[in-house]
Amino acid sequence: MRPRILQTARPGDAWPVRPAGPAPLHTAARATQAGAPGRELWAGIHLAENDAAGKLEQLGMSAQRFTPRVSLAPPDGLLLEVQGSLHLFAGVAGLRGALLTECLRLEVRPVLAFAPTALAALAMARAGVACEVPEPAQLTGKLARLPLSSLRWPQDTLARLARMGVRTIGAALRLPRAGFARRFGDAQLAMLDVLTGRAPEVRVTFRAPERFRRRRELGCELESHDLVLAALAPLLAELDEFLAARELGVVELECRLIHRHAPLTRCVVRLASPATDVHRLTALLGEHLSALELPEPVRAGELAAVALMPHRPESESLWQPGERGGSSGREGCDLIERLRARLGAGAVHGLTRLPAYRPEKAWAVAEPPSASRHRAMVKGSADPAPARRRPLWLFPAPQRLSVRNGLPRRRGPLRLVSEPERIETGWWDGGEIARDYYTAVDIHGVHLWIFRERAAPHDWFLHGVFG
Amino acid sequence: MGATAQLARLLEHPAIWRGASAAHPEGLATGFSALDAYLPGKGWPRTGLIEILVPRFGSGELYLLLPALSALTRARCARWCVWVAPPLMPFAPALAAEGIALDRVAVVSGARPLWALEQALGSGACDAVLAWARRPKAREIRRLQLAAERGRTLGVLFRPRRAAREASAAVLRLALAPTGTGVRITLLKGRTTQRSAIDLALRG
Repeated sequence: MRPRILQTARPGDAWPVRPAGPAPLHTAARATQAGAPGRELWAGIHLAENDAAGKLEQLGMSAQRFTPRVSLAPPDGLLLEVQGSLHLFAGVAGLRGALLTECLRLEVRPVLAFAPTALAALAMARAGVACEVPEPAQLTGKLARLPLSSLRWPQDTLARLARMGVRTIGAALRLPRAGFARRFGDAQLAMLDVLTGRAPEVRVTFRAPERFRRRRELGCELESHDLVLAALAPLLAELDEFLAARELGVVELECRLIHRHAPLTRCVVRLASPATDVHRLTALLGEHLSALELPEPVRAGELAAVALMPHRPESESLWQPGERGGSSGREGCDLIERLRARLGAGAVHGLTRLPAYRPEKAWAVAEPPSASRHRAMVKGSADPAPARRRPLWLFPAPQRLSVRNGLPRRRGPLRLVSEPERIETGWWDGGEIARDYYTAVDIHGVHLWIFRERAAPHDWFLHGVFG
Repeated sequence: MGATAQLARLLEHPAIWRGASAAHPEGLATGFSALDAYLPGKGWPRTGLIEILVPRFGSGELYLLLPALSALTRARCARWCVWVAPPLMPFAPALAAEGIALDRVAVVSGARPLWALEQALGSGACDAVLAWARRPKAREIRRLQLAAERGRTLGVLFRPRRAAREASAAVLRLALAPTGTGVRITLLKGRTTQRSAIDLALRG
């Protein structure tokens, strides 16, 4: 299982997991102070030349789950500040393993080196030395043997140095500073200082783009819904990575299926809560797709996250839902989405009551119960409950009752068992009612709520059942 | 005699756990003391499917459940109470007046009540699911019972009285008949010592 905890690390937010860096990362670019109290450890990744094209950004994106401080060194280098993440991966060795796995997944063969400064890590990786130098004190010694070419200085500079017999970084470091700066340039001297940690370095943090829209050509034409869903799986996996790196959840997902001639088929999945789990998304998309009618076989699929929301993972409950007060947050959302996907959005709703005396207006359809674990306190009798008893069931519209000898009937005579309750209201909005409500019992013993119009012709209506 | 005493002493060993002494899972108080005493487990089961057979809709079946539903929805970590395919719309003010927390109530309508019921029972998101199904088959009831166990949910299925003749996998079956002031309850299935029907007063 991949360690997921670093999903929560994202620049600009309060961090549950915080690297030991000296200052919070409020800005994209920051200076790393040499000798500052917080130690740093950089992982330098060098990609082989034929791998690097196109893969660097992708790797930068997926590397965000290891640390928020990812920096690109184009065309073939990637830098990660990992000091704060080490304990999550059981040290450098564990992190190296996880990074290598990630690289292999993207089908690149990297060289990985760890060093206290970014440039040193990069130089080691570029020199093909996959070593680990956690201690700043050992850095200069380790660097000494690296060839100068790993610093990517201009060719003529390297050539002039080579003519002097200076081929390694160690040899370059032994040259007198003033003379070196005069003959080879201040920039090169500054680079050496940065390399050994004598001077701070500014690196721009890589920020991944915040939109997700991917397309996949299927190569063949698919007719079956299941196959289309299976063909979309790589896109969903990319979405998963995209969401994990940004600590985002998707609340609206759009899927477009492209046909040869027919206009594209569109399928929109709306979620009750921000979703990060790709399995849940796949299941829902499957439900929605199975309800679609495909006019033609599908040639290509496109997946777009229309609406994204920050998602903060909550602690899981120790208990199963239903067990000793284990609550249902996620399960509830899943249920609603599944029901809505199959039955339609209007098929699931909640109830709320309104402060009105007209029975028809005393309740309303509401959004289904919120999934929030910390729900508001159960409201007491804040709004006045009707003084009289109300039926548990209400007919959508009052049903006219037949009348014999002035008394209402419904499969036999009805017996009135209560005093009348007069409800006469609503004159201000045109929905005026004037009724006398009674509780009645029919011949089977069922209690009904009926009323008699006060206006002529004084008809009787059935409005509710007591249950 | 000696052997029996030895055996009894052996069985007192703390490492031995005997099935007969297992505490029965505590039921959910129904709110009616006579009914609590009548039902196995001293209340509604917290998990599993129960059937309530009524001669016709509105025979007092919902009032029988309201105290328990009220307690469930007002619990601190309440899960949902889902109503699947009710024949009429539940009247929110009356439910609130009976003490049900409306923010835990969801109503599901639509074409496939049994599917929705199984989903709700098995999801683990609900404390109780009430359902009015047209004519569920014995096999479907078995599935519902399994789903209720999976989701640790109390499922209540309201069915017409004539269904009493059919076999059912429900853990508890009750038949209801309205009396003048309340209902008469007969236990059709469920372990109890008392086989006679009991009368409850529902409407004050």
